[in-house]
Amino acid sequence: MTRVEISGITKSYQPGVPVLKPLNLSVKPGELFFLLGPSGCGKSTLLRILAGLVEPDSGSIRFNDVEITKLPPEKRRAAMVFQNYALWPHLSVYENVAFGLRVSGEKKSEIDREVKAALELVHMSEYASRRIPSLSGGQQQRVALARALAVKPALLLLDEPLSNLDARLRDTMRREIRRICVERKLTAIYVTHDRQEALSMADRLAVMDQGVICQIDTPEKAYNAPTDKFVASFLGDANFIEGELKPDGVWQTALGNLSCDGMTGKLAGKLVAMIRPERIRIGVESKMNAVNAVLTNRSFTGESCEWEFEASGRKLVVVESAPPERKIGETYLLYLPPEALIVLQ
Amino acid sequence: MENKWIQYLLLMLVIAFLGAFLLAPIFTVVGVGLNWHLLAEVFSNFIYREGLLNSFAIAAVTTILVFLIAFPLALLYNRYDFPGKNWSHLLVMIPMILPPFVGALGFQQILGHYGVVNTLLSYCGIPRVDFLGGQGRFWSVCLIEALHLYPILYLNLVTALGNLDPALDEAARNLGAKKWRRFRKITFPLLKPGIFAGGSIVLVWSFTELGTPLMFGYNRVTAVQIFNGIMELESNPVPYALIVVMLFFAATMYLSGKFALGKTALNATVKGSAGSSAVRPAGWRRWLPTTVFAMVTFLAGLPHIALILTAFSLRWYETILPRDFTLLNFENALSHQIVLPSIVNSLNYSLFAMAIAVTVGVLISLAAVRWKLRGGMLADLLAMLPLAVPGIVIAFGYLGMSVKFNFASEYFNPVENPFLLLGIAYAVRRLPYVVRSVSAGLEQTPEELENAARNFGASAFVTLKKITLPLVFANLIVGALFAFSFSMLEVSDSLILAQKAEFYPITRAIYELSQILGSGPFIACAFGVWAMLFLAAALAAAGALLGDKIGSIFKL
Repeated sequence: MTRVEISGITKSYQPGVPVLKPLNLSVKPGELFFLLGPSGCGKSTLLRILAGLVEPDSGSIRFNDVEITKLPPEKRRAAMVFQNYALWPHLSVYENVAFGLRVSGEKKSEIDREVKAALELVHMSEYASRRIPSLSGGQQQRVALARALAVKPALLLLDEPLSNLDARLRDTMRREIRRICVERKLTAIYVTHDRQEALSMADRLAVMDQGVICQIDTPEKAYNAPTDKFVASFLGDANFIEGELKPDGVWQTALGNLSCDGMTGKLAGKLVAMIRPERIRIGVESKMNAVNAVLTNRSFTGESCEWEFEASGRKLVVVESAPPERKIGETYLLYLPPEALIVLQ
Repeated sequence: MENKWIQYLLLMLVIAFLGAFLLAPIFTVVGVGLNWHLLAEVFSNFIYREGLLNSFAIAAVTTILVFLIAFPLALLYNRYDFPGKNWSHLLVMIPMILPPFVGALGFQQILGHYGVVNTLLSYCGIPRVDFLGGQGRFWSVCLIEALHLYPILYLNLVTALGNLDPALDEAARNLGAKKWRRFRKITFPLLKPGIFAGGSIVLVWSFTELGTPLMFGYNRVTAVQIFNGIMELESNPVPYALIVVMLFFAATMYLSGKFALGKTALNATVKGSAGSSAVRPAGWRRWLPTTVFAMVTFLAGLPHIALILTAFSLRWYETILPRDFTLLNFENALSHQIVLPSIVNSLNYSLFAMAIAVTVGVLISLAAVRWKLRGGMLADLLAMLPLAVPGIVIAFGYLGMSVKFNFASEYFNPVENPFLLLGIAYAVRRLPYVVRSVSAGLEQTPEELENAARNFGASAFVTLKKITLPLVFANLIVGALFAFSFSMLEVSDSLILAQKAEFYPITRAIYELSQILGSGPFIACAFGVWAMLFLAAALAAAGALLGDKIGSIFKL
């Protein structure tokens, strides 16, 4: 199992336009770590730097305390599953998976054993002799994963490997990848912009924006207690409430005076908090944090219903599963539990 | 990366090679020829002026003829499904299996005073026409060059049309534009780069063509005047000035074309696979495109047919078909003292040229497309230069260098042994085809496949060997085939640089045989048939490997 230490990594493709600003990160041995962020945030560049395919401008990378920043890609043992799989079309499935083992000079019998084991693991044994173009997207994805696993990598890198698959297959593959990583006790770094993927699979995740890491945490903590507005909105729907925290401890907002657990000990001044739509409760009476709001819109998603309310000119979104009948235009009482209001930086 | 310095070293070597064998000869010629007295002599002498005007006229008429043949054919191919469509690509390439000057040998049997056409005319009671005398020679040169060169424009147009997104035409149709308007406003403007790519090669090629006018005895043409001036170069350096003038006009033609047509049509091409928009005409109409293709192919194949018939004939005089058939010419061709050595020479020169062209071409393509080195695009640009610079200029430059530099005259002496000179000259001339072919292959191959190999432990060299080269193998083979087969039948370098009989390549031997009175032309035709069969096999192999994409290697 490999521990990965990234310190002070920077990268610019054009002068004055940094893709990665000085960036520090530590990935624990055996961890399934996610880099999550929007397109262009630098997550794939960071992954390619780890693979040695892109040279950083500065900083260092260490695998188990060994400096590998200047090591060429072929010497890093950081096998990658590419976004478009990058399977060699002139080689068969078997040859694709065997390539890394052949290059490293393994014995024929060993190669055969490892290739078969890797194909078995991804349920592709019967396709060994097939040509790549004859495979479906999901099958290609499995071969790409088998190819990476066959070389017994020190670090597994996955660059949005499920982005080309349909929703159902994506769900299956998420579980498969997580199972294999756990079974093999692999240290893996997984790049995605899909929050569901990251939240459902990661041991820990880093949310990135414009070349910097905004927050590193477990999925639960990052979702429930985001540190800033960007992380809060990137990980899920959120209602943001701005207000002025008075010296006497009262938080004045457009919705009225509110209270939240996180404001204790904060200095007076501007304060922004967020609350997830599913944490707001409709029709619950309370002496504090209760707001009258007019229902303006609804959208039904199957497993839940999303209500849009307007209160004092502000929009509030509430999500309920199995909701009762409600009428557009009517006024409802919304309760914002103080413990669900998270103070942001 | 750690290999960068090796990549730069290789690129420097390639640029040094191009500097020495492409730029230096041009500068040598320009250095001597850019003399105001000599240039004044060129423009004041009636004979040289007429030569230039004739060259212009040949280029203009040939290019117009090529457009008239190639444009309708390309449109038919793109717009319609017709019987024999799959074969049409192969048929269109028939003219390319024979250098036009060898085709001229056959053509003389058809258009000669006692040839096929005049015999037919006299049967009908019409007086004979002197097709090969006076102005007839001019038209014969233009016609045979056009019939030889139209595939270059055709292949470019077919590729360009194939790359156009059918939705662009459909959008215009959807907005009410009629056929002609759609062609004028949508198709034609988007085809301009393809027209330029093919058209400029045809224009420069026909402007500087040496073999065809030489074979027809049409001597008042700049290229022939330069060739004839080689012998008296010591006393009369005017050919140098003629070369400078020719280079100037060739470059002007190329740049004007580039300015007028060469701008890239952005976002007009189809990414990924586009459904064919070709329609299948109903009933007998579906045979119309087939008929047009067959007629053009027959016309273009006439010199070949005539060449083959001449090669098999003992006598062909005042008859429509030869009177007596024989294999004697083939026997004589193979037993003539200059023939067998010329085959061996051509094989040696061409294999050497192919090795150089492939090595240099692959390195240039890698530097420009894959390694993206500074200077990679410069090397790519330099490699394309031979398409705009006439072969005769480079050959003449080598001649000048071998006289000018002592060290060059030791290793690169055309009189002593032109092996190195001819091999390198052939290689430089065919370099554009190798570079375009390999570059196209690299551009179509995702770089991620090579990154994946590096990621799985392969070194840069192993990645090149196991992944990159196998993936562009078809393109590499096609580039090599073109380099080899066109070198085997190269004309201007061969005529200028092979000066002793023992070093003659095939084309020079055919030319020498054709000059022998009596049976000479018959033996030359028999030898031409051998050469034709050889090039046909090479082009068929290239066509089979690349299919529709073959046009992409005739691009600038």
